[in-house]
Amino acid sequence: MPPNSDATMDAAPKIQLIGASRDFEARGRRVQALQPVDLSIQPAEFVALVGPSGCGKSTILNMVAGLLGPTLGRVTYDGASVTGLNRRVGYMTQKDTLLPWRTVEANIRIALELKCRPTSRTDATAKVAQMIELVGLKGFEHHYPNELSGGMRKRVALARTLIYEPETLLMDEPFAALDAQLRLVMLDQLQFLTRLRKMTVLFVTHDLGEAITLADRVVVMSARPGRIRTIRNVPIERPLDVFKARFSAAFGRLHEELWDELKDEVTKGTDL
Amino acid sequence: MAERTAAGDGIVVWRIAIALAIPLVWEAAWRLTGSTWISSPSLVGRRLLGWASDGLLFNIATTVEEIVTGLAIGAAGGVLCGLVLGRMPVLAGILRPIIVAFYSVPLIALAPLFIMLFGLGRMPQIVLVGIVVFFLIFFNTFAGAEAVDEELILALRLMGASRGEVFRKIIGPASVVWITGGLKVALPYALVAATTGEMLGSRGGIGFLLNDAAQQFDMTSLYAALTILMLLGILASGSAARLEHWLLRWRHAAE
Repeated sequence: MPPNSDATMDAAPKIQLIGASRDFEARGRRVQALQPVDLSIQPAEFVALVGPSGCGKSTILNMVAGLLGPTLGRVTYDGASVTGLNRRVGYMTQKDTLLPWRTVEANIRIALELKCRPTSRTDATAKVAQMIELVGLKGFEHHYPNELSGGMRKRVALARTLIYEPETLLMDEPFAALDAQLRLVMLDQLQFLTRLRKMTVLFVTHDLGEAITLADRVVVMSARPGRIRTIRNVPIERPLDVFKARFSAAFGRLHEELWDELKDEVTKGTDL
Repeated sequence: MAERTAAGDGIVVWRIAIALAIPLVWEAAWRLTGSTWISSPSLVGRRLLGWASDGLLFNIATTVEEIVTGLAIGAAGGVLCGLVLGRMPVLAGILRPIIVAFYSVPLIALAPLFIMLFGLGRMPQIVLVGIVVFFLIFFNTFAGAEAVDEELILALRLMGASRGEVFRKIIGPASVVWITGGLKVALPYALVAATTGEMLGSRGGIGFLLNDAAQQFDMTSLYAALTILMLLGILASGSAARLEHWLLRWRHAAE
């Protein structure tokens, strides 16, 4: 805790990366996955990270969650360095980590079964039912994960993360496996819930539209080794209608602008 | 389920036909040769009926009790040690050569030792069954605990789970696949261990009946004892398969 933190700042950042970089060892060679990155995220802010694959987006999430330490620099959460697992974040990884021997219902409930979150049985049941409704899995409560499609599994993972209302959400392409319509519905629900609960969100996606729809700020990252190329505020009034937002002029302009930035990086990344 | 088809019905008919043919051929062979070495299903059946009122139940109960007790002790120990060592690579590394050394002894060869140590009662068989089951379940559970998906563990730890909760909610259930695999293998071996122990020295059990019959060149009793062993074996593997199906129901749910 920094007792002498600058009182003139309007709000202390929730998450801060200070010159944080990360190297990986691959076949005896050191590869820099992420160049030193500086990024501050305010409480209740929704930040989207976009960029080509392998630009270190997931590395940033892993560092905030405390699964990886930065090779150089610092990652702080509530002003304190992240050392070890950061229990205050809910992390929805790219791979859904559902427990195959638990039904949909039991998977969603698991966070409420933990001692650190005492919940009565009736409360838990009610909350689970509510989450199942929210992610549109009614009728699948008693199915096992291997009976579900990829998109349904993602929705179970989302419900499992949202049910315990972590103050910060880290999401790694949570909607990549969903079809376009369902994705919009989920975006709408995510926007509603995170704003209602004043959650801080760090959201990785490769879909610019998704990023602009949800985020207060969009961070465009460059191809490997990753670094931040641009950060843009999204000057669109919130809450917005996710189903119509894409057709507004402001949305179109920002999309075009950000796409120009991203285009170079995407082509670089694929060596076109 | 798959057998409820026309082809499946054919298979069942053939199975029944063969099951009936074996005792018929056997009976015929005996009637043709008259050899006491061959004996016959009818004689065996009569012997079993005779035994039924004369200690057969006691002998079956003895063997079953040895298996069940040994299985319970061995399985509990195997699961516990497997889970713990599977999650403690350093300790496992230290103990591995010792465990392998012990397992290198053909376990059945320990029977005489246990008879010396524990006498002619049920104890030597229980210990033998326990040890055989322990090793089989231990190795399976160990492999399972070691192979648990680390990402599942991290996900739960991020939600705030304690070490104990990770154990109960992930490592335990994830190892059930391997534990049941071990159990399925262990059950027939438990029967082998119990019978072998009884044959080498005991005052009851199917192995005792078998040995007794052999020493008196009583072929009918020998076949009768073998029949009971076969039925016990079928019962054991059948219940193991059912148990597995129930424990791993989430796996075949999609089929």
